[in-house]
Amino acid sequence: MGAIIETNDLRAYYITNAYGVERTVKAVDGITLRIQEGEVYGIAGESGCGKSTLLRILLGAYQPPLTVVGGDVKYHLEGEVLDAAEMTEEQQRDLKWRTISYIPQGSMHVLNPVRRIRDTFHDFISAHRDVSKAESFQLTADYLRDLGLPEKVMASYPHQLSGGMRQRVTIALATILWPKLIFADEPTTALDVVVQRGVIQMLKDVQQKEGSTLVLITHDIGVHANLADRIGILYAGKLVEESDTKTILESPRHPYTRYLIESLPSLDSREERMAIPGRPPALDRPPSGCRFHERCPLAKEICKTVEPQLIQIEPGHFTACHVVEEELSHVAV
Amino acid sequence: MRLLDSYILPRIAQWFMVVFIGITVTFLIPRLSPINPVDEILARMTAFQTMDPEAFKTMRETTLALYGLDKTLIEQYVAYWQRLMVGDLGPSFGNFPRPVTEIIAAALPWTIGLLVTTTIISWTAGVLLGSLAGYFHSRRWAQVFERLVVVVYPVPYLIIAFVLILIFVAELKWFPLMGGSRGDAALTWEYISTLLYFGFMPALSVVIGATAFRFIMAKSLTTTEIASDYVQYAELAAVPRRKIILFYVARNTMLPQVTDLALSLGLIFEGALITEVLFTYPGVGFVLYNAIYNGDYNVIMGITLLSIIGVATAALLIDLLYPIFDPRVRLR
Repeated sequence: MGAIIETNDLRAYYITNAYGVERTVKAVDGITLRIQEGEVYGIAGESGCGKSTLLRILLGAYQPPLTVVGGDVKYHLEGEVLDAAEMTEEQQRDLKWRTISYIPQGSMHVLNPVRRIRDTFHDFISAHRDVSKAESFQLTADYLRDLGLPEKVMASYPHQLSGGMRQRVTIALATILWPKLIFADEPTTALDVVVQRGVIQMLKDVQQKEGSTLVLITHDIGVHANLADRIGILYAGKLVEESDTKTILESPRHPYTRYLIESLPSLDSREERMAIPGRPPALDRPPSGCRFHERCPLAKEICKTVEPQLIQIEPGHFTACHVVEEELSHVAV
Repeated sequence: MRLLDSYILPRIAQWFMVVFIGITVTFLIPRLSPINPVDEILARMTAFQTMDPEAFKTMRETTLALYGLDKTLIEQYVAYWQRLMVGDLGPSFGNFPRPVTEIIAAALPWTIGLLVTTTIISWTAGVLLGSLAGYFHSRRWAQVFERLVVVVYPVPYLIIAFVLILIFVAELKWFPLMGGSRGDAALTWEYISTLLYFGFMPALSVVIGATAFRFIMAKSLTTTEIASDYVQYAELAAVPRRKIILFYVARNTMLPQVTDLALSLGLIFEGALITEVLFTYPGVGFVLYNAIYNGDYNVIMGITLLSIIGVATAALLIDLLYPIFDPRVRLR
């Protein structure tokens, strides 16, 4: 299996210019990703680390002030390599929903409040397939039944559904045309844990039925543990660690990842969890050197000045940290 | 019927309450004010001549009795309702004894004709242009339109009307300054064309401001709507633009717009006072102006009453129709 989407040193900044004050927020700064076909790739990180921005770029759904200033995004679809930046609007429309789909953040408000669910489904289906209203209703009814959603949802208005149900309807709406590549942005945030479980199960079902690729963005490591095959940890617009889920959870190397994992509650131990000291940095003036050095207990002099590169420390496990690099070189020597 | 009991009946009851309170207040306000119409009339009569005090007293009492103002407030109030129930609004004090209903009935078709037309034209044009300008906000034509409206909207109505009169009536002499029509009323093109000819200037003067107002409203509603999650999501999913404009944007902005339309139509019965006075148009506003000028309380009350009923009825209709427009309104 090859990559379905890859980025190469992707840089995307929010560039604003108000009353002569120029401000550049480096939300995505040099990210290289290779997401394999059929896998669930989790992107984790705290609020404001650039997760949603990265997703907007991957999806090709961004407008100024967000600007891609470097690198590229390539889709590998049906044996073709498509450069996201070079696609025409026509091509983009063609890909949407049939091939690439998106489960948005805050699904509570993505359904038109004055339209019945089935009509919204018809709008979305008929935009990409030549179907009659009756046909898309049938398609929707079948799909909702497959996913275990009650039939009466079809004729409902969004406000008549619970939050969890709305989220599931949105997932169904995003995946009804069996897209190859699904992006999900915080699909379980704002739901209570019981409902979360149902939604996670549904995402799993959808992904496994067609072997779609799922790119999952959430700050919730628990959700990643449940769903993701591989996880990329994002910090201040940079990828700081990437590996398979088991490795990330059991033997994380980057100090930031270690903090993230250690802050998870566990059933075995009742002691107080450690919080990550400090705050995420402001991305309009990111720290020099390693962007985590201000909060890092292991920081050395080099961390303040030299930016660490993402290196492979064992097969499939990448991290960007001077301390880890040094330790490894000692072992090697 | 749950719907009837829990939704429709309470709203109809509310309508009666509003109308009742409105009528009571319009009854009380002139009577509690220190100005007495009889004294006003007598003062006008005796302004340039002296009168025997005894005769003055008799005349005052006779006039008070004639106008029904010699009784106590409660008696007047009861009598007022009794007359209202049979559709009698009393005589005009200024045009005694012509009934108020007759005066209003003569003026009403003029006002309705003028204001229904201008309201519908300005609402349709304002909402349509404003919505499109809001959706295509980055297009050149939308920006030109908006600049124009922003300049026109704050100009006071009087100034717009005067400028129109100066240009089209005084300078170019394209349109007449006074009146509503020429010739005898008949369903002939000849007569109707004079209606349009005379009505054009007053209508245009109203339409300009009203369209600008609705343009601004529609544009700001649309701007909010296109930033909403569901519109953004539908655009992301490449739902056809026509569908997004109709069912996602317009359908949602329509709710406050329909309220505005209904309330504007309800307000018609008040007349367009300044317009009708400026253009000497024989509508309700003109009648109201003369009534205020002459202290003709019965006429003022008659017009106010009509206006109260108009607005209350419009509000009732919106309330009853709203569940059709907005599924989120529960029939409770």
